[in-house]
Amino acid sequence: MIIVNKLKKFIISIGRFFKEKFNGAKEIIKEGDNKVFASFFVMGLGQLLYKQWVKGFIYLAIQILFIVYFVLTGASDLFGLFTLGRKEGNEWYGIQGDNSIVMLIMGILSVIVIIFYIALYISNIKDCYKTQCAYDTLKKVNNFKDDVNNLLDKSFYKTALALPVVGVMVFSILPIVFMILIAFTNYGGDIVPPALVDWVGLANFKKILSLGQFAPTFFKIFGWNMLWAIMSTALNYFAGLGLALLLNKKCVKGKVIWRAFPILAYAIPGFITLLGFKFMFSYGGPINYYIALLGGEKIGFLGLNSKWIARFIGLGVNAWISIPSTMLLATGILSNINNDLYEAARVDGASAFRQFRKITLPYVIFATTPVLISQFIGNFNNFGIFYFLRGGLYSDGYFLASDTDLLINWLYNMSIDNNYYSVGAAISLVIFIITSIISLTVYVLSPAYRQEETFR
Amino acid sequence: MSKDKKRIKRRCKKTLDVIITYCILIIVAFIFFFPCLWLILASFSKSGSIYSFDGFFPKEYGLDAFITLFTDTVMYNYQRWFLNTLFIASCSCILGTLLTILTAYCMSRFRFKSRKAMMKTTLVLGMFPSFMGTIAVYLIMTQFHLVNQMWGLILIYSAQAPMGYMVQKGFFDTIPYSIDEAARIDGASNFEIFRKFILPMSKPMLVYTALTSFTWPWSDFILPKMLLQDKNLYTVAVGLMSLGETEFARFAAGSIIIAIPIIILYFCLVKYMINGMSAGAVKE
Repeated sequence: MIIVNKLKKFIISIGRFFKEKFNGAKEIIKEGDNKVFASFFVMGLGQLLYKQWVKGFIYLAIQILFIVYFVLTGASDLFGLFTLGRKEGNEWYGIQGDNSIVMLIMGILSVIVIIFYIALYISNIKDCYKTQCAYDTLKKVNNFKDDVNNLLDKSFYKTALALPVVGVMVFSILPIVFMILIAFTNYGGDIVPPALVDWVGLANFKKILSLGQFAPTFFKIFGWNMLWAIMSTALNYFAGLGLALLLNKKCVKGKVIWRAFPILAYAIPGFITLLGFKFMFSYGGPINYYIALLGGEKIGFLGLNSKWIARFIGLGVNAWISIPSTMLLATGILSNINNDLYEAARVDGASAFRQFRKITLPYVIFATTPVLISQFIGNFNNFGIFYFLRGGLYSDGYFLASDTDLLINWLYNMSIDNNYYSVGAAISLVIFIITSIISLTVYVLSPAYRQEETFR
Repeated sequence: MSKDKKRIKRRCKKTLDVIITYCILIIVAFIFFFPCLWLILASFSKSGSIYSFDGFFPKEYGLDAFITLFTDTVMYNYQRWFLNTLFIASCSCILGTLLTILTAYCMSRFRFKSRKAMMKTTLVLGMFPSFMGTIAVYLIMTQFHLVNQMWGLILIYSAQAPMGYMVQKGFFDTIPYSIDEAARIDGASNFEIFRKFILPMSKPMLVYTALTSFTWPWSDFILPKMLLQDKNLYTVAVGLMSLGETEFARFAAGSIIIAIPIIILYFCLVKYMINGMSAGAVKE
């Protein structure tokens, strides 16, 4: 119910957003003078007419740069996004063909550049209109120094966010858009450059859900993946919380020393821990040595036939790595609880267990809900554990995966080791949809999000 | 009489509770400490292979592993790997911290139009299996001729760092607004407020951010494995991964050397860590 309401609100807010934009544009067209219209045609011209030299020339330079870029490569890049190349290369005849994948990336890049340009273009017009308003009422125009001061004060966020936004655009958003688009092409297998890649619509998703090769593996891995995420999150969360509560007890002396051991485990880089445990459980490793010493037969803990043993080892190793961080977090939260609450409870004669149930637990759970989500997602996509412990194994009945692999490991096997790029991208899209639905729902419903403004 | 009995009973219960608590603590400490001890012992073993161990304990002790680690550099140039990792991690730490703190500060203190949209977008994008993008990142880097160059890696790490601004934003949210207002009455601009008031107050958060953005490149293996194919450019993580069971002692020695700086950092800064984590968690 709440979600439906949220959706409704979201759609209404989008409508309001566009209405506001439309009204703003109408106002500028109606009220704007000739100088503002000059800015419509040549960026910065209006500012120059108002004698704002530096700003005007910066806008002008942006437009010139954009036009040069667009004529030189931008237009063909944008076009290439749709065709993905038409001339196939051939080494025998020495033909330099089109590289579809590079064209795809450059195409996305050109779209990003165009979006930035449009944003700047609109800001140019708005800025000119603002200058006009200021001139009409105050008979005074901001000079360049005022603008710089403004960028350090009122609009400091624009200055500060410029670099992060560009970085995130190029190195986080562009790759993700690229992968989403790849899911709708036939890239992979035999079709890698110099062969031409093409758009195929939803064929990859149909392949995952219907074709004999992928579907059984997908559902088997998906089931295990869900089970893994729930089990490991619950284990890490409650064990970490329990450990923090244990260390918080009044009777424990030397807390710093006891706490040092989990912190030590936390501080060791994850890949070292994982490789170390792999050696420990390996066929020639110490545990098998003692089994052999006691007259038992050596066990391939992480070998091909040890489905559940390997799964439990993974769970344990993951707990070893993650419990300390939960413990630290819970320790911090426990120290934040107001002591008066306990005082009041004691006066009322509440037992220790009751205090824990009525005060400690609700508070900790409230404070850690967002962390719980991110831990769930982190465990759902926990790549390292089985990559290091059992990487490179392929089990019977699985297509390019082992029976401990999570979806993300399968993805890696398929796309990076075996070239199934487009199917891999489609699977990553499925993972993405599942995880984002879970987390967005919980995030929007969580009190931490709703009460963001109460502390202002 | 019965009162005394009750008291004795309660005291017994209390002692039992203490004993059980300590038993659990000892077990926990053992579980967390033993694998570390095992690696430390292994690094001091005389022969390198894991097959020549008596279970968890090496047959003979010596410093051979550490010596070969730094002298036998033909196959495995550990010294180079270490310097590469240090360089990449330090540079990405400085740049990444700067960008993350700026982003978090803006998201916490300013109310601009696209703010909510940006926050939701980053949240959703964070859900995307990150290495699926690495193929695209790899192709972009080839386009810009940044493959097999450490600066390429640094660029990626620091550009992706602002995505994790949430914890820092939570911290800035807890700094009261009255400070900003007081400063503004004195005529300070937002930039000055940030530099002169907020930044000195957020030392714990700075330390926490720097630490996390240092340890990530320090122990990451997917990106370096993809982008640094030249053996001389390997980072320690990639290099250690290429060691087999017969080189176990060398692996242990290499691991200990790379783990020690981080462990020292963590123990010095554990107070900041707890503060940072819980400050971010309450209102993430």
